[in-house]
Amino acid sequence: MRFKRPYIAYIILLMFAIVALYPLVDMVFMSFKDLPGIVSTPFSLPTKWHFDNYSTAWIQGNLFSYLINTAIVSVASVIIVIFFSSMAAYVIARFEFRGNQLIYLMFLAGLALPIQMMAVPLYILMKQLYLLNNLLSVILIYSASGLSFSVFLLVNFIRSVPKDLEESAFLDGASYFQTYWHVILPLIRPSLSTVAILNFISAWNGFFFPLILLNDPNRMTVAVGVLSFVGQYSTQWNLLLPALVIVILPTIIVFAIASRQFIRNLTAGAVKM
Amino acid sequence: MRKKRWTIIVSFLAPGFVLYVLFIIYPFLSSIRYSFYNWNGVGPLIDFVGLKNFAYALFSHNFAPFFWRAILHNLYFFAVTMILTSVFGVLLAYLLVAVHERTSRWFQVIYFIPMVVPPVVVAYVWSMYLEPNYGVLPQLLEALHLNALNVPFLGSAGLAIPTIAVITAWAGMGLPILIFVAAMINIPEEMIEAARVDGATRFRTFVSVIFPFIKPTFLTITTLIFVGAFGAFDYIFIMEGTQAGPNYATDVIGTLFYRTAFGGFGTTAQSMGLATALAFLGFLIVMIASTILVLLQRSASRNL
Repeated sequence: MRFKRPYIAYIILLMFAIVALYPLVDMVFMSFKDLPGIVSTPFSLPTKWHFDNYSTAWIQGNLFSYLINTAIVSVASVIIVIFFSSMAAYVIARFEFRGNQLIYLMFLAGLALPIQMMAVPLYILMKQLYLLNNLLSVILIYSASGLSFSVFLLVNFIRSVPKDLEESAFLDGASYFQTYWHVILPLIRPSLSTVAILNFISAWNGFFFPLILLNDPNRMTVAVGVLSFVGQYSTQWNLLLPALVIVILPTIIVFAIASRQFIRNLTAGAVKM
Repeated sequence: MRKKRWTIIVSFLAPGFVLYVLFIIYPFLSSIRYSFYNWNGVGPLIDFVGLKNFAYALFSHNFAPFFWRAILHNLYFFAVTMILTSVFGVLLAYLLVAVHERTSRWFQVIYFIPMVVPPVVVAYVWSMYLEPNYGVLPQLLEALHLNALNVPFLGSAGLAIPTIAVITAWAGMGLPILIFVAAMINIPEEMIEAARVDGATRFRTFVSVIFPFIKPTFLTITTLIFVGAFGAFDYIFIMEGTQAGPNYATDVIGTLFYRTAFGGFGTTAQSMGLATALAFLGFLIVMIASTILVLLQRSASRNL
């Protein structure tokens, strides 16, 4: 498949890399300009670097509280998904029992359900549980909806590895729980990290459920918080842009740390699609 | 021992199962139940109306035009994102497996980055670029004397959907590219060599050797994009508002559902019953399409 002269391939790849990154890099540079600079000279680097844009946006935008809320939602739902789905996947993949296929299919069905279409019953349910304006509502929804893909991925992965390790653990007198903890979990780490990253990103970026369930400014996540910030400062791009940059930093950092491993796992068949 | 085995099965399955039943299965079933009632979300469910909500959504003079227009917009949205994602996704994946592995990985990381950015940020950055008066793109077009192309992309009825579809494809390209790369890496080198020896051109090789091999993957991506396109909401809501302007030109099932359930419909009062009927019709479309696609995918991977 390799090209003898790959220059053209590199040029095309580079062009698309610029298309993918330019708006984001540009956003960072523009966030340091003053308002006239953003509007009248959008293509140049800032002539004077306005770091005060950031401090103003940080203070006026209530960004700290949005970031903390979003971090709680993302981390909590990732932890729940990882443990609940790996436990379920272990049983589904390794134990033969009545209803096994049915439960697996039930989890798979979630892949075809656009969850926001269930917004009405979920809204009512959260109201009945007194969880409106509570981060737990969004955490529960994200964890539940993350299970489908995660169980699917992990069941396939566990089925593809031989049973030898587990069997020798049993012979050494390990219990099922010890086998799960000491053999299965380390074994499925590549798939688990893929699951963790995908769920972290979608929880962090989630918009619809925070929009309908979290209206209290002190409970908002970044996605909705930024929306209300925009409502107040609609054309003050010199305050909006720093807020947008601050909001994307955490996911960019998480992705930067995990990206190489993540990409390797995805393309090396940790995901079978 | 047998008894112990059951305890293990139950205790390992229970946490995930309970969570899933409570927050996915139960809401799904109550959604169906609500759709048979005339109900505004408060008070008990007493006004059973049978299939009237469905009839209202599908055939009434007041509401059906909204519904069918929204479905059309969803399909249009699907078509544009699908074409862009498959053409550029396959092309880039093809190039990525053909170049040096280390460089290839760097490019894969870069292409994935837009996926990590929240839709709010993507939506605002592009709104800023496309702003008709001082946006980057209008200024650029003006400088190049291409005034004919300088139109309000988000503000014109004909261009708003394709524009938002392009932005969606831009933001969502990362995962499809990686999945295509994963599929293409597994193509045995001998098959491509054999085609080459038989004198096949690069294009011919792609059509007869590479494409049949990645067809199951292609269908998986189609399913993902279809489900995504019928769930489209974030960008439209943020860039065009609750009323999915201009003049409902970007109204999709998601925004129509939001207005019906949570208000913002102006004269028509909000109705949770009608909204759940709408949601159920949406489910049905997605279910039918994904069942067909999954069956096609199964037979495509069997034929490999």
